[in-house]
Parts: sequence; C-alpha cells; structure tokens
Amino acid sequence: MMRMAVKGIGVTGGFGSGVADLTAALKSGVSRMDGITIPSAQGPLQLPAYRAATERLEEFVAKRALRRIDHYSKLGLLGAHLALQDAGMLGTDLSRLGVVIASGYGATATTFAFLDSIIGDGDICASPTHFANSVHNSAAANISIMLGAKGPSLTVSQFDMSVPSALMSARQWFAEGRVDAVLFGAIDELSDLIGYLWQRQRGSESSGIISPLQADQESSVIGEGAAFLLLTRAENAEGYCAIDTVETGSLYQGELPLPSDALLVLGADGRKELGARYRATVPSRSRVACYAPLYGSMPAAAGFDLACAALILQNGAAFPITGAACCDMDGVAAELETERVCAVRLAGANEYSKIQLSRL
Amino acid sequence: MTHPWPVAITGLGCICAAGTSVDACMDALYSGRRAPAPSLRFTSNHPTRFPVFEVPNFSEPPELLRTSALGLQAAREAIADAGLDPEALRSLRVGVCVGTTVGSAMNNEQFCRDYRAGRDPDLAPIERILRSNPAAAIAREFGLTGPCQTVVNACASGTDAVGLAASWIRGGLCDMVIAGGADELGRITYNGFISLMITDDSPCKPFDKERKGLNLGEGAGMLILESEELRSKRGKKARSFLLGYGSACDAHHLTAPKPDGEGLRYAIAEALSCSDTAAEAIAFVNAHGTGTPDNDRVESRVLASVLPGVPFLSTKGYTGHTLGAAGAIEAVFTVACLERGMIPANAGFATADPDLGGTPVQANTQIEGSVALSESLAFGGNNSVIVLGKRGTA
Repeated sequence: MMRMAVKGIGVTGGFGSGVADLTAALKSGVSRMDGITIPSAQGPLQLPAYRAATERLEEFVAKRALRRIDHYSKLGLLGAHLALQDAGMLGTDLSRLGVVIASGYGATATTFAFLDSIIGDGDICASPTHFANSVHNSAAANISIMLGAKGPSLTVSQFDMSVPSALMSARQWFAEGRVDAVLFGAIDELSDLIGYLWQRQRGSESSGIISPLQADQESSVIGEGAAFLLLTRAENAEGYCAIDTVETGSLYQGELPLPSDALLVLGADGRKELGARYRATVPSRSRVACYAPLYGSMPAAAGFDLACAALILQNGAAFPITGAACCDMDGVAAELETERVCAVRLAGANEYSKIQLSRL
Repeated sequence: MTHPWPVAITGLGCICAAGTSVDACMDALYSGRRAPAPSLRFTSNHPTRFPVFEVPNFSEPPELLRTSALGLQAAREAIADAGLDPEALRSLRVGVCVGTTVGSAMNNEQFCRDYRAGRDPDLAPIERILRSNPAAAIAREFGLTGPCQTVVNACASGTDAVGLAASWIRGGLCDMVIAGGADELGRITYNGFISLMITDDSPCKPFDKERKGLNLGEGAGMLILESEELRSKRGKKARSFLLGYGSACDAHHLTAPKPDGEGLRYAIAEALSCSDTAAEAIAFVNAHGTGTPDNDRVESRVLASVLPGVPFLSTKGYTGHTLGAAGAIEAVFTVACLERGMIPANAGFATADPDLGGTPVQANTQIEGSVALSESLAFGGNNSVIVLGKRGTA
C-alpha cells in the first residue's frame, strides 16, 4: 500500500493563517468567530461564521497579479504557498508537481456573481470574466499558473466526501509514478447566498458554540478556508506524518470497522443529523477528538481535520480543546498521547471515509 | 512511470443528441446525421439563437438534475451491456467515477432570481442539486459500496474520470468502476460560452478554415471497467481495454490553450508511455476538436508533430460540446469505432485551413490497427489523453 508523507501544511481559516496560528488555536482551544450578514424576512440577519483572511497572500504574490483573482482562488493560492513554504519547496522546480483540489461547492461567490450579471442586466450582459472564473477547477488552474506546476491537475467536488475521495486519487498518482509531489488542497468559501442557504436549512438554533458530539441539538457554525498539504512518497521522507491508508465508500449494512489503537479525529461539526450518525457508528469507548470548533462546518473541513491530525502526530499527543477532545464518546477524558490517528468522516445516510495516519 | 496492466472495458452506454444508445449514436455518426438547432428547452434574449445539440424526448425525474438522470441512463445501458444484474452489483466492491461541469454547481437561476428579489425562495432546487451529485446519484441508485468521485476538471472531466477509474482498478481499490461523464444543457452554460465569444451561430465546423466556435451539447457516456479477477470469474469478454492515461497542465491561461501545446504533448507522451504503446501503433485519434479557432489550431499542430500521418477526427460535429461528458462519450465512440474498424467523417469540415497542422477525415474511413487515442483539452489548462484498444498490439 502506497504511503504518503505530509511534508508541508498551509492553512487559512477562522483561527488565522499558517501552521503557527493553527497550532496556537489547537493549544488554546480558541478561534476567532466572525459573522456573515444575510437577508431575512425580519431584515438583515447576522449569522456566526468562521471567515478566512487572504492578506498574507501578498507575502508571496504581487498585489497587481491578484487583481482578477477571486476570493475562492485566493484562499487556494494562500494555502498552496504556505504549504510549499512550510515544506521548504518555494522557488524549487515544480514541473513534476501534481495539484489536487477538493471543494464541496466551488467558487460560489463568482458563480452567483455570474448569475447576477444575467439577472440584473440580461443574457447579453453575461460576464465572461465571472463565467471563466466560476468553473470548479479555477483555483487549481490559478495555482498551477502562478507556480508553474505542469503535472496532472485534478479537482473533485463530492460535497462532504470531496477531501477523502480526492486524496484517494492523489495516492494513485504516486502509486503509478505520475508525480514526485502533490499539492493537495481543500477549499470552500462563504458567500452571502451560501450563508442564506445554511440558515434556511439549519435555522438559527446554533448558539455559536459548536458541540460536535451532541446528537440532540443543532450547534453547527458555517466556516470557510483552505487547508493544503504538500505530499510526497513516505519512503525516507521527513515531515509531519505519513498517510497510510485512504478508504471511502458507502455502508448499507453492518458496522464500520474502526481501529482501536488510534485516536479518531471525527468530522463531527455540530450538524444534528450527523451527530446522531457519529454516535451510532463510533463505539462508545473509542478515543475521539473533533476540531471543527476551530474552523467551522464546511465540506473542506476534512482537510483541516487532516492538518490537525498531522500536527497531533508531530506533537505526539492530541490537543484537548474544550468540549470536543480528547475523550470517549461519552465525554470522559482519555489519554492524550498517540502514535496513530484515523480521520473519520460520515456524510448523508451511508457515506463514510477513513484516513489512517501515523508517525514517520 | 510504471507500466501497469491494461484494464478491461466490458460495457458501454451513451446518450446524447446523436442517439439514446451506443448503437443509435454510431448509426448517426456513420450516416452523417446531425441536427443542431436552437434549444427547445430554454429561451434566451440574445438576438442570435445559437444552435445546440439537445437530447430529444428525454425528461428527468423531479428529484434529480437532468445531468444525473442522463448519467443514470447511460450507466443502465453500460451495466446491461456488461451482462450484469444491477442487484448483483451490491455484492461486489463497485466504484463510481464521473466527470461533470454543472452537475455539482450551486447555480439554480430561478432560486437566485427569487433570492435577489428579496423573496424566500423554495429550497427544492437546491435540495435537488445536493441530491444530484452525479457519481453519488449513480452509487445510490444501484446501492454501490465502493469509492465515489465526481471529477470537475471542466471539459477534460470525462476523460480524467475514465483514466482515474482505471487507476482504482489497478490499485485494487475496487472490482469494478462505472466511469464516465454527464452534463446537461442550460441557460447558464449557454450564456457563459456566448459571453466568451467562442460559440458558432451555425452548425460547428471542427478543424475547418471557417470555424467560428463550438455548439454546446448535452449527454452522458459510461464505461464499465473491470478487474481481470472479476472478469475471468464472470467469463466476460472485454469489448476493449484502457491501455493508458496521461494528464498534464499547461499552467498558462484560464481559458486558452498554450500556443505550443506543451501540456497536450506531455499528456500524449505519458499516455503512450504508460500503455507501452508506440506512436506508430495508433490507428486514429478522436480529437477534442471543439471548433474554436484556438483549440483546433493548437491540437492539430500537436497531432501533426507527435502523431504525424495518423488519421484524426472530432465527433463534436454530431454531439456538440458536451463539456464534462465529452471525454467519456468520445471514449465510448472510440471503442465502438475500433470494434467496427471504421471512423466516421469529421462532420462540419469542408475547407482545409493552412494554419492548422492537418485535416481531419472527410468520409467514413477504414482504419488499420487496433489501438486509438482519445483526448480532451479544458479550461484551466487541463490536457487529458487515454489510449484504448486491444492488449498486446503495441
């Protein structure tokens, strides 16, 4: 089985930008809650939300070169540059670098802006710039162009399963010798319409404090951001950790086998229906941790879970943030030290993924 | 680059403007039938009514996007063609890998109109999108337990989905994969491509001197890829084999191909290399051939350079550009042409362009050889190529 090494991490989310900010959030359990204003029958409504900043991108790319780049691609570009910098690969030959992007919703703000150009001004005024940038692989394209990455490029959109599904194909690229390294990124952006949809579907029950393992109440908070990993083959590699296995699929009967010797980093994020599924799927004595309270709920959160798993393995122990880790499914505190992590994600009625990581 | 073994293709399915089954499509292609016309399903206030290639007499169920319904129809045909009982798929590890462009986009126009107008729109269209991720919809329909992936690599999505699915079989991730692409026609892509000024207001003319752009189309193509272990257990003969796959990025421009075709050259070389196939063994190339000035110039020059003298054609003159479905539909056509030993005329071609690297076939043409290449170029600079044909013929 092909093992991959996580050689670099690049993240931007509610907690800040870069490994240092994510590590600080993991240690303190504190992230920066922001908000988004959406329309409602009662007037503008402020929803709690984790927003991601992209100002640090100007450390890597001239502001002038970013004029026509939208927020979605900027999130990706920042994550990509931070991951390469963290891996010590900025400025190196990237011609054999593959790029894999996972996104649940794609460039939604630009997609809606394109629709606005038609709705507001008629079909004949459809914006070519918005249309070109609304394609799901726009971030992958902008990253490849900016970095000169000429290897294969893949964008996957599988809603909550985008990250594990895309990671599976990245691993196959290594197995078939197509690439020397893969820049793997998860991106989702928050737009007013996405916020509106979130509120319509989930109501305004959430207090703004995510309680991932509670199955009887909605506590999710929407988020946005980008989580990138610079991946190489694991043999003789240095880095945060190894990704040993990636498994995705659907389970219609029987139990989902989970490793008993690993800390389970769950994708539970306060969505009520998924909370119930995690409770039904994960054995009660399992050692679990959930880090969604640091970056919120979004399909790309699975990428942040992997970044956290990598930092846990580098640290040798889980980060016990309030209300979410490190405990069993009943909330009883558990041992922090760990050599293995399994990132578990459930979606819909049947979908699951398991990504097992260990120390290099 | 490793040289993995070929992956068997045991079933094909297709639905597009050319026909609602593989055989119907091939009849249309060899007969030279095509009927692009202004859409019957949507209107636009553009002064010009651009022709499109719609699938006639096809209705999607209210709970699904048309994209996913098209994908499901092609999948059903492919499963039947592979001699499989859909119920039996539940006991196997079957994956789904589907390319699309609009199948997972949150872009319902009426919902957005109502939202912008300050109304609280019905959530049904959004729930339909969330329910209709093309790969997930197929997996759910047949109760499949294997990996599932919706590839959104713009117009190369279908080719990439087929190539990636083969790697899942090679890697032992599953016994079988339903792989392909699906996309529907709609006002959003229609207006978008017109805004880019790469749409022809007459039937498209790939590789022709007077070409003005593409005509949009819709449809789905699906292939059943199967492990040798399962195929021998079932005693099923392969229709063809996926021999190789190559993919590379131009890293040049969001919507235009790199003038020297560097990414396409690399993708072709990789596909040939990993299939252990010599360029001389290629019987024909099913080109991307959209009919846009840039694509056809770059693509024909690359083909003249790396596969000189090899016959090539675009089938988009029969189907329109079906975007994320195109690579899969063209893979299906490529296998069917290899089986028949004949490729159809490049519809729409009349006048050679001295600026291009060559001219496509202008009549139904017998082919020599049993290996062919199908390629896709896409927004984002993606270039993807698959090699299809008989094993051990390189």
